[in-house]
Amino acid sequence: MYDPIILAQIFWTGLASASPHVLMTVGFALTLKVTGLWNFAQAGFMAVAFYTMYMALNWLGLPIAVAVLLAIGTTVAASLATEAYGLQVLRERQSGNLTFFIFTLILSEFLIYVITLIFGTEPQTLFKSILSPVQIIGGVAVSDWDMLGVGLMIGGMFALWLFMTFTRDGQFLTAVADNAKLAELYGISARRSYRVTAVIASLFIVASMYLIGSHGGIVPNTPLELVLSAVLGTLLGGIGRVFAAGAASIFLALIQSFSILFLASRWQNLLLYGFLFVAILLFPRGVRLPKFRFALLAGR
Amino acid sequence: MTEVLRVERLNKRFGGIVVSDNVDLTIARGEILGLIGPNGAGKTSLFNLISGVLRPDSGRIFLNGEPIDRSKLFRRARMGIARTWQHMLLFRTMTVIDNLLVAPRAYPGESILRVTFGLGAVRAADRQARDRAMAILTRMGLEHTAESMVTDLPFGQQKLIGLARTLMNDGPLLLLDEPMAGVEGAAYETIKTVVREEAASGRAVCVVEHNVSFIRDLCSRAVFMANGKILQDGTVEELISSSVLTELYFGV
Amino acid sequence: MEYLATVAILIALYVILAASYNLVIGYGGLATVAHPIFFAIGAYTAGLLAIHTDLPPVLNVLLGAVAAMAASVTLAASSLRVSGDYLLIASLGFQLGLLQLIRNLELTGGPGGLSNIPSTIVGAARTPIFLAITIGLAIASVLAIRAIVQGPYGRAITAMRDEELAFTALGRNAMTMKIVIFAIGCGIAGVAGGIYAYYFQYISPDQFEVLQSAQILTMVVLGGMGTAYGPVVGALLLLAIPQAITFLHLPPSIMAPTQGIIFTTLVLIFLFVRPAGIMGVDSSKVRS
Repeated sequence: MYDPIILAQIFWTGLASASPHVLMTVGFALTLKVTGLWNFAQAGFMAVAFYTMYMALNWLGLPIAVAVLLAIGTTVAASLATEAYGLQVLRERQSGNLTFFIFTLILSEFLIYVITLIFGTEPQTLFKSILSPVQIIGGVAVSDWDMLGVGLMIGGMFALWLFMTFTRDGQFLTAVADNAKLAELYGISARRSYRVTAVIASLFIVASMYLIGSHGGIVPNTPLELVLSAVLGTLLGGIGRVFAAGAASIFLALIQSFSILFLASRWQNLLLYGFLFVAILLFPRGVRLPKFRFALLAGR
Repeated sequence: MTEVLRVERLNKRFGGIVVSDNVDLTIARGEILGLIGPNGAGKTSLFNLISGVLRPDSGRIFLNGEPIDRSKLFRRARMGIARTWQHMLLFRTMTVIDNLLVAPRAYPGESILRVTFGLGAVRAADRQARDRAMAILTRMGLEHTAESMVTDLPFGQQKLIGLARTLMNDGPLLLLDEPMAGVEGAAYETIKTVVREEAASGRAVCVVEHNVSFIRDLCSRAVFMANGKILQDGTVEELISSSVLTELYFGV
Repeated sequence: MEYLATVAILIALYVILAASYNLVIGYGGLATVAHPIFFAIGAYTAGLLAIHTDLPPVLNVLLGAVAAMAASVTLAASSLRVSGDYLLIASLGFQLGLLQLIRNLELTGGPGGLSNIPSTIVGAARTPIFLAITIGLAIASVLAIRAIVQGPYGRAITAMRDEELAFTALGRNAMTMKIVIFAIGCGIAGVAGGIYAYYFQYISPDQFEVLQSAQILTMVVLGGMGTAYGPVVGALLLLAIPQAITFLHLPPSIMAPTQGIIFTTLVLIFLFVRPAGIMGVDSSKVRS
């Protein structure tokens, strides 16, 4: 039998390591829900967020709070600029979803190449040390990083839920997601909702990149892989269901952590894709698709 | 009278909205049936159910006695259900003649195998289709537009091209969804003549139309629909004189 | 000379890839990103057969194409049932999942890749022979695709892309046509993969990543989606430009991102200023 302490440890570590992915996935899924876009440009924004913090901390020697604020500034700016000068133009042109896909992916790559030119391809971390002080709580090792991660994850999800339930702008997001045209008839500006979404997603991205960057090394290409894990969570959670997407990425992380009990480590990544594979090929309808009106929402 | 289409207890709902509520309907050879009713009555939905765009929740549909309700959209077209669309849905990057050429019931050119290994036969079928298409265009006085892009034509002519494309299907049933909406002048008379001729040639025709004088001119029989139900089936005069219906529909 | 010939072979293979991809997305209107994975399936199938069996190379390459076609039919048939938009994401997941599998299997050589693929043709004539084969195939596939999209079949493809519902309601089997177009495009990519494996004798999973999807997509968009010769122009341009920069003798740490920035900037400019691509007709003129 497995020791309950070991199981608790695996559970806790799995939950904590899921936190940045959950934050990122929720931002990604929210963007998909409201704008109808698989916004791969978010990989580029992740790189922008991380390297802004990296530069502020390591080149300029600024305090952490200032570095985070700066990162929020650059990420929100990049995201809003993309929305206003890129996506909106394509929407007005009634471009097909392939065009949106190309634009967001290539924009990401462009940002990543520029960052590669400036920062090189060496793995970088936000702080000199990625070790985090550990306390033992009930026999389970809990690091400060774990606490921060889980705290940001729960806090972020709760704040988003509050925002979407109790503020007008938040309720408008759901209305625009349901039917942008209809929402406009009722005087809700879809454009404003898209921008609000871009800002929220940026906040989640900065939080996520802070966690990842203070826990391990990042190269300019890392965000592209990260965004794919967001795609995975979104697909498995069911498109259009933001919190389910977050839950799906927690579930995936836990499956991965528990799989060390019975799987060689190199198979763990494969397990994730195994899920995706089965979902796509065998149960394409099993992944619930209530809001999958890609072209309708994006193009018109 | 030979029955071409028979619809039995057809039901379809979307969430809380009932678009087809126990609909029974028959159309005979050579008949032009008018389908009238307010917007949202379920007229276009009925066309969608008959042609196979939508699957009914329950009920049966027979074409010449054969059940077709389990067949796919493209199969029903091949069995001979030809329909037009309220919004025409023309192939907008193609010429008039090309719009018509992909429209016959059988189009061998859609099979890569036949195109690769039997190009001669495919081309022969294409030539035949071209002759038929030109004949149809000539009937409508549109033979000169054959090589024009459809989007370069005025609205009324596009409407006629939509009808012409549908006529490439020589099947027993013709469903016309608001053929007159936005049409005036010469095109109006042409459509009327063509519909009459098609019925006279032995097809069963069903027309959804808001233009009452068009229905009165063409149809011996009409059906009034509201909220997915058929409320009355009779002569056009009977329907128009029914006070309940006129209130529902004409708001008088 | 050997170097230039290798570059020419690579360009020819990418012309095949871009042209077949263009058939799928440009003409067929099927939004997929997984084209490199069908290239990979062809390459790995042919490579593995070459290593483990004594079958003739031509047969191995063909079997690679058949495997790519079979995989593409499975993907298209399952995801197109849901919706055309779903294919985009399904193809992405399919590509990532299969790559992950290739990375983890002993059989495929894991992340290190598959090496020791037998050379088949040896001697001084090797490169010229491969050059002739690849260029011949590139020309053949571009012309074959052009033939497919003209005439009666092409008319049906155009009509389907314009207005699928009306097309289907006329009695045309749009689903079968889409799957066939997808399978042909992916099969051609499989052939290119098989030849790639035989020529370079080494393949690794990193060569079939999403970045390669973006690269082929770029070639098609830049050259002109849905035009016969656009992908040729795109592939030539995108592979020739980096070669041109090579002569600047920049250090690799600057070279690679600079090349990347040039690509992506070109695509972004084209996307907004000339969406139809170099060979394409301005769509505003078509719609007028």
